[in-house]
This record gives sequence, structure tokens and C-alpha cells, in this order.
Amino acid sequence: MTSSESTPIVKLDSVTVSMNGKTVLDDINLVIGPGVHTGIIGPNGGGKTTLLKVILGLIPPDRGTVQLFGHLNPGETSPKGMVGYVPQKCVVDPRFPVSVFDVVMMGRYGPLGLFRRPGKKDRDVAMENLQKVEMEKFADRPIGHLSGGEQQKVFIARALCSSPQLLILDEPTTGVDVQSQDQFYRLINQLKIELGLTVIMVSHDVGMITSYIDDLVCINQRVFIHGKSPDVLSEKILQETYGCEVEMIFHGHFPHRVIDQHNPEETE
Amino acid sequence: MEILALEFMQRAILAGLILSVVCSVVSVYVVLKGLSFIGVGIAHSAFGGVALGALLGLNPIGTAMVFSVGVAWLIGLASKRGQLSEDATIGIFFPVAMAFGVICIGFQEGYTVDLFSYLFGSILAVGRQDLWLISLLGLLVLFFIAGFFKELLFFIFDEELARVNGIPVTFIFYMLLTLIAITVVVSIKIVGIILVSSLLVIPGSASYLLTHRFNWMMVYSVLIGTGSTMVGLAISYKFDLAAGATIVITSAFVFLVCLIFAPKRSKALS
Repeated sequence: MTSSESTPIVKLDSVTVSMNGKTVLDDINLVIGPGVHTGIIGPNGGGKTTLLKVILGLIPPDRGTVQLFGHLNPGETSPKGMVGYVPQKCVVDPRFPVSVFDVVMMGRYGPLGLFRRPGKKDRDVAMENLQKVEMEKFADRPIGHLSGGEQQKVFIARALCSSPQLLILDEPTTGVDVQSQDQFYRLINQLKIELGLTVIMVSHDVGMITSYIDDLVCINQRVFIHGKSPDVLSEKILQETYGCEVEMIFHGHFPHRVIDQHNPEETE
Repeated sequence: MEILALEFMQRAILAGLILSVVCSVVSVYVVLKGLSFIGVGIAHSAFGGVALGALLGLNPIGTAMVFSVGVAWLIGLASKRGQLSEDATIGIFFPVAMAFGVICIGFQEGYTVDLFSYLFGSILAVGRQDLWLISLLGLLVLFFIAGFFKELLFFIFDEELARVNGIPVTFIFYMLLTLIAITVVVSIKIVGIILVSSLLVIPGSASYLLTHRFNWMMVYSVLIGTGSTMVGLAISYKFDLAAGATIVITSAFVFLVCLIFAPKRSKALS
């Protein structure tokens, strides 16, 4: 489990959320400390995105409390700008008439506050963050002309513009080809180290996600496990989370193929 | 061109100029946020306000303003609550408001307000007071848009993310609806209730086809909207046609030209 003497970045106590009469999150207890890279996995409809929205204060829990940076009721009271949020890609209309640079600049609007116009300092911050994700050459391109992976990098640059302490990413590699996914996770890890971020990342990609993250949370309405990856990742845990039999195929440090043996007699 | 020396014509041109600028700017937001049908709904609901005002002996434009803003907020509220789909909600609100207006007219004894001019516009009957009101309210709308420019952009681009980033999205949403309602009501003078929604849709739609940059879309929208209004006015004078209708047809023609010759849009976007 994560341990930290200082204020946890995220703390959920007995959080329960129901939508349309169905329980989406059931008695969630979660503590995420500073500087930790947490990966959240689980099946579709298991509440991963809802969990992120609860942390962000977009959805109030029916029961339980949510604390963000030690503040109760995020969304109402938490200092804005301390969280950089990269939502799932499909939300945005790609034909919207904005350039890559315009999109990143939007990340400065929150910190600027009302009635202030973006100035040179804001433009410099935006360009700096574009460079961090290696997308500065695309600055003048319409956002709709970029590939899925390129757009995601732009959205990360945007999220960095408020100098956040917490970066939350929801399925950031949807629509990104397999080779680029690894690059992508590496970039996020780099940024985390360089900027001292706490990162929470939801991903479908069980195998790759475990290569870069510190902690793993398996969620399907309930938290099945929360602990140091990869120790916690076993077939048993995955089966309980996903509710079905699982075959694990690993990249990187792990053996290439690990199959859960259902029938002892078969191993001969 | 002695016609230009005549005061009513000068006021018509001035009113047309101011209103087309305001409508074209608002049109960009209406088109990008998908509020076209809300615009239609608000416009038709204004009829209820006009009739009520006439019945009570108040300034019809004043009552129309209050009525339209009220309806706009109700539509906003209903669409956020999500019980019924947004277009169904609008489809219920505006006929009811219009029906209410018709009943009000039924109660009127004696002199009845000139319905036709409210339904189809009467730009050639813009009085001095009207011009003051149009200028003041037009400037007010532009002032708010300029003041909240970046918040509005973020809101229409990605509402949820804007909220996470500290943008007061609820305020911005209702402010936008209010600005649309005000714009609609003052513009009734040029093209009337039936056609006013076109001024909120055509300039923005045409400029959308021409550029990938938001600021340029705003500029093109104003050029197209204002150009169409002035040219439409001139044509209607020359051939003795209804001014409001001619303006709408002219702007539709410009839209067609943009559609056919759209430079960047012809490339399919990924």
C-alpha cells in the first residue's frame, strides 16, 4: 500500500455512487500519496471513469467523502489548476476550428482567471509544454488534422499548462497504435519524474501499464486490490476483477507467455 | 442616391449594420455549440412576449425581451436536467409560447399591434428610439462576448474540461443563452420573428466552411453577415422587395457560394 506522512493527494472514504438505480461504485476506500504513479484497470462499465470523475469533483458521491489535496468536496472547494485532466479522446469535435497551439493555450485560461487576457507569458508557457511533449512543430495545425496519438500529446501539454501537481489521464492510449503506446507511457513517466507529478492513469492495457506504474488499482464496482505493481498482479486478482478467466501475456521484464492452467492433468 | 439622404433609410442601414455584426458574432457560438434550434425556439417564443406586451399596453419589445430570456433559461434548465431530449423540449416550448401569443391577441380590443411587421420585419420603420435601443443592446452583447471571450471558447470546445479547469460553465451557459435571446429580440426589427434565426445560423455556418481558425471564423462571419445585410437591403430597395426576406435570401446565396468553393474544408479531416 502507498504510505505517506504528508497529506495524501487523493483520499476516498467509503465512496458509493449510483447512477440510474445501478451501483457503479461500491464502498471505495482509496488513498493516493504524492509522487506516485497509480494505474487503474478493470472491465468496461466497472466504474473506472466514474472513479476519476468523483476524484475530480464532477460527480458527487451518494455516500462517503472525497478529499483532493486535503480539501473535501473537490469541484467546489479545491484549488483549481492543481489538477491536470486529460479526458478520453472522443469527447472533442475534431473539426472545431482551433489550432494545436489554441488548444494548449486553453490550459492557461483557468489559471488566468476571469477578465484577464492571455499574454506573452502564457504563450511562452504553452509553447514550453508543447515542446515537452515534442509537438511544437504542429503548433499551427488544426487539431482535427492530427492522429489520435498526436492529439493526446497535445491534450497532455494543455493539462500541464496550469502547472498541476496531479495529472489524471483517462484511457490516454485509445486510438494510439501499439508501438506508440509504449513511447506514450514512457513520456508520461518522464514528465512525472521531471515535474514531480502525482499521476493517476486509467487504461485498458493491463500488461503495458504495469511496466511503468508504481501502484495498481483493480476496480470493478469495488476495489479488488491496491498495491505495488507488479507484485499484486496475478491471475487470481485479474480474474476476480474482470469476472472471467484470464490469460496473461506480458511485455518487457516478464516472460512472454504465462497461461493459467485450469487442469493439472494437462501439464505433462 | 438621394434615398441615402432620407433619415429612415439612414437609420435602416445603421440598424442593419449594427444588428448584422452582433448576429454574426453570436452566430459563431450558436453554430459551434449546436444551439441553432434553441435560436429558433427563442425567436418564435418572442411572439408570445410581443403579444403580451401589446395586450398590457407595454412596449412589446420590452416584454418580448423578458419573455425570451425567460424561455431561454427554461430551455437551458430543461436541457441540463435531461429528462427529455433538448430538441423535444424546445419543440414543446415554442409552439406553446406562440399559441399563448395568439390567445393574447384574441383578447385585444381596438387597435392591434401590426403583427406582420413583427413576424417579418420592418427595417424601414426603425425610429430614432429604436436605433438607440438597438445600439445599446448590441453593444452590451458584444461587450459581454469580449469580456468572456476565452471562457466562451473553452466552454464551447470542451465543456467538461472547462469545468475542471475552473471555468464557471453554468454561468457561461446561461449568459450565452441570455445573449442569444437579447440578440434575437433586437433583430426582430430587421427580419422578423420567423426569419431571425437565420441570421444566427447562416453567417456562422458559412464562415465555418472557410477557415480552421476560430478568430478568422469570427471575422469572416461578420463580413458575410454584414455584407449580406447591406447587399440584401440594396437589392430590396432596387427591386421593391420585402427587405427582411431579401436579406435572408442574399445570405443564403453567399452561404451556397462558400459551400461550393470552400477552400480547406474540401480535404477530408482525419
